Amino acid sequence: MNPLLEIDNLRVKYGNIEALHGVSFTVEDGEIVTLIGANGAGKSTTLMSIARLPPPEAPKVISGDIRHKGVSLLNMAPDKVVANLHMALVPEGRHIFGNLTVEENLKLATYARKGDSVPDIQRDYDQVYALFPRLAERRRQQSESLSGGEQQMLAVGRALMSKCSIIMLDEPSMGLAPALMYDMFRTLKQLNEEGMTILLVEQNANLALKFAHRGYVLDTGEIVAQGTSQELMADPEVKKAYLGA
Amino acid sequence: METGNKLQRNAFALAVISGCVLIILLAQFKVINLYIQSVIMFMGINIMISTSLNLVNGNMGEFSCGHAAFLCVGAYVSSITSVLIMAPNDITGAPFLPPELAVLVFPISVFVGGVVAALAGILVALPSFKTRGDYLAIITIAVNYMVISGIENLSVVGGPRGFMGMKKVVKSMYELADIPWMMIFVALGTIFCVLIIRRYVSSTYGKGVNAICQDEIAAEIMSVNTNKVKLVTFMLSSGLCGMAGGLFAHVVGYVNPQSFNILKSTEAMVMVYLGGMGSLSGAVISAVFFTFLLELLRPLQILKWVIIPFTLVLLMQFRPEGIMGNKELTDVFPKLRKYCRFK
Repeated sequence: MNPLLEIDNLRVKYGNIEALHGVSFTVEDGEIVTLIGANGAGKSTTLMSIARLPPPEAPKVISGDIRHKGVSLLNMAPDKVVANLHMALVPEGRHIFGNLTVEENLKLATYARKGDSVPDIQRDYDQVYALFPRLAERRRQQSESLSGGEQQMLAVGRALMSKCSIIMLDEPSMGLAPALMYDMFRTLKQLNEEGMTILLVEQNANLALKFAHRGYVLDTGEIVAQGTSQELMADPEVKKAYLGA
Repeated sequence: METGNKLQRNAFALAVISGCVLIILLAQFKVINLYIQSVIMFMGINIMISTSLNLVNGNMGEFSCGHAAFLCVGAYVSSITSVLIMAPNDITGAPFLPPELAVLVFPISVFVGGVVAALAGILVALPSFKTRGDYLAIITIAVNYMVISGIENLSVVGGPRGFMGMKKVVKSMYELADIPWMMIFVALGTIFCVLIIRRYVSSTYGKGVNAICQDEIAAEIMSVNTNKVKLVTFMLSSGLCGMAGGLFAHVVGYVNPQSFNILKSTEAMVMVYLGGMGSLSGAVISAVFFTFLLELLRPLQILKWVIIPFTLVLLMQFRPEGIMGNKELTDVFPKLRKYCRFK
């Protein structure tokens, strides 16, 4: 049985600079997997490669493979990754559409769902609003006027509206107050319990490891440690370098 | 939004249509003279030019400054089509069809001009997959020059001397029935153009255009196929502009490559920026206003090209967002919503 998502010896570069030197990891169905590491380790790069975003903003794959249930997606267009494989990226810095309202942002996320019926989509709107009541309150507000935390909720809500089964989160805690951050992770945990597979990239290693089932430690483009969250949290090297203990 | 009855909701559309009919009737009974008629027709053509450019520059956030290239392609292709079919010429000799059919052939030739201009739009759309902003602007200028120089060197269509013969086609329409044909076609073309753009921009597919303008990365992860949306949008924009070109060529009765140079592209851009980026009603209002201004300043002759750019300087200083900003008329006057459906 092939893993849901398999990254096999992936090497990528920006221009002439190699950013990942052979990264391999797997994500199984229903898991929460986290990639932790310092700034510049290649965490966001990995997610952008998986989402197949085009250069120059995203890196170019030189060798290795990314497989979804055993099928390579290296030659797949980014819109197909979302529409056919149901993998959604919540990018670093949120990238919401500032001049659209909350509702319009969510509506845009249904772009991939041409065949779906209106009641189906309506049910998902309701679900997102139930998950994030703050968004429901502000549904007619221009999304650039939202606070940072609300924008992050919108970015996650938008990913959910694209009916994803794998959600890739890039630094969801960035710029959030601790209370909001815990709220966000609680919501993600709830989604995972309902069957969502989560691939999480996070600076806050402590929080990420508490939340995830398994983790990988990236350092300057290579995986230097891996294991279950408990193992990693107990690892003296990881403790010293990333958990600040 | 179910406000008011059907008649009320369509009141705005009815007002526009009756306005057009009124103008055509005024022209028919010679209440307005030929000069005013031609100014009104140029207003219609300018509306088509500015709304189509607004689709690319305003809604999609690209920076195209060679819009006249598509006007030129449309003008030449539709002129050549109609002249080859309907008028005696050097290449095919006698006309293929009797002059009575001019009324049918003319709109078809305008449409053909639009289709070919849309194909020419691919010239800009393909580079736009990889570049945007200033770099794409340079490409659009290059395309503008390519088209003009290409036609200047084609002696079959008159080269730099220009191409004529459309007057005969137009004349045979007037011989069939003495009604203001050109006025009718320009009105139809303008309404067609504005309606198509309105539908496109407010559709779910058209939301992808806005998404590209805002944030291309985010558009990609929202599963917008940015390349396809760019291609469709550029082709739609250049196609509609090409139809405007076809109408323009037949209204004037003569085309010359140099009348589609960078100055014409600049005029189109001025109209878009004056109206407000991404505002369809702004593009319409500014096209009407700009045509009016050009005619008003005509006595100043060449000096008007000092005054009009100067108004642009003032505009950028005091109201950089243009007349309407990115709002529509219904956003500024919410009461209008009762009388027209915008989305």
